[in-house]
Amino acid sequence: MPMTIDSSEVLKRIEDAPLLSSSASRLLQITADPEHSLGEVADIVKTDAALTARVLRVVNSAAFGLISTISSIDRAISYLGERLVVGIAIDICASQLFDKPLTGYEAQRGDLWRHDLRVAIASREIARLAPQDMAVDLAFTGGILHDIGKSILSEFLTGTAQSVLETIEKGEAQDYLEAERAMLGIDHAMVGYELARKWQLPEPLQQVIRFHHKPSEADEEHRSLVYAVHLGDIIAMMGGGGTGSDTLQYHMDSAYTDYLDISVEQLTMTLLHVEEEFSKMEASLLDGKDGGT
Amino acid sequence: MSNLILGVGDFGASNSPGDIVKTFALGSCVAVILLDPGTRSVGMVHVALPDSSINRDKAKERPGYFADTGIPMLLKQMSSMGCNVRKLTVKLAGGAQIMDPNNTFNIGKRNILAVKKLLWQHGMGPVAEDIGANYSRTVSVSTNTGEVVLSSPGRPPWKI
Repeated sequence: MPMTIDSSEVLKRIEDAPLLSSSASRLLQITADPEHSLGEVADIVKTDAALTARVLRVVNSAAFGLISTISSIDRAISYLGERLVVGIAIDICASQLFDKPLTGYEAQRGDLWRHDLRVAIASREIARLAPQDMAVDLAFTGGILHDIGKSILSEFLTGTAQSVLETIEKGEAQDYLEAERAMLGIDHAMVGYELARKWQLPEPLQQVIRFHHKPSEADEEHRSLVYAVHLGDIIAMMGGGGTGSDTLQYHMDSAYTDYLDISVEQLTMTLLHVEEEFSKMEASLLDGKDGGT
Repeated sequence: MSNLILGVGDFGASNSPGDIVKTFALGSCVAVILLDPGTRSVGMVHVALPDSSINRDKAKERPGYFADTGIPMLLKQMSSMGCNVRKLTVKLAGGAQIMDPNNTFNIGKRNILAVKKLLWQHGMGPVAEDIGANYSRTVSVSTNTGEVVLSSPGRPPWKI
């Protein structure tokens, strides 16, 4: 291991992280409540001019290929789905985190956001296969946020990728998470969790971020949601959408079968769907970002 | 001289001197690389799933997505470029996975088996491969040298 630094230095960096906007924060709270309505979501979007403009740009982007322009927020939200609106709201206020090149993981600018979007789509698809009722859009939001800790931890890992991989290959660390802890005293899941607490994210999202690599340790109440994101993360990495050197360097918690029913055929269909949905959403979100039409 | 970049489910070939045929970040996907030293042609298909029977429409729209439709299409293209398909050199890369004791997520392994079966049906087999394990791979092949170079974040590049 090349260095050991105190986790308090990492934690200090969390204090400097951007805050969520009040509209993003309220959207996250409301959509985590199973009783919420689409009208409540629209009401929040309408009070935020930047969010309104961006939602309309995305819905009218070429990727969706609408024949006539949508100018009403209610129609835009029902067309895009609240999950994408929440994703846009998060991205507006935290883009400096999502767009960071994760140098510590030898990933490029945009890799984290693309990985998160893939995980979001995959987690929601997996959540739809759950035998019990699950908030599928919350699985999407959990996917967007699950790796947020990497944006802060990355710079402390600069130059370590090769030695971390050797450590894992030799069996000195069982996965990337353990190697991060050995070097920095804290791993990206825990850093993300600290940020989630600072942002006062709803409890199920805090659990997703903290336990996405070890879902069996999540509270029973949220465990199936955490398993959905755990598998969504693996599906994204299998599809080639990782965040650099840590791609596939984790273990699968095989007890997912206690919470989610998934056959080989369903998984194959999911992989296909994620690839198609990702291409469409990526194009529309990028269009929206550039200010294109 | 240009780069031929192949996305998931794409196939393509080049015999232009100096061209690089490349595909990024193979996770459980498999790149089938076909080399014809005689005409200095390089072909590649980025296979994502083993069997097209799961979605025939997708197979029509993007045959390279599946092993059973992608490999024949690539062979056809290389044949039309004047390659002797009986003399092609085959190399494979990809098919990574995270171990799942339930076997459901072992798509990488299923992709490799499907690709090898298809090749075998055409009387072909790989002379070199870097498959399985748990790392993602980027593959680039130069038409000048026919060298297959693999890379993965955090690892120095290597050849197969």
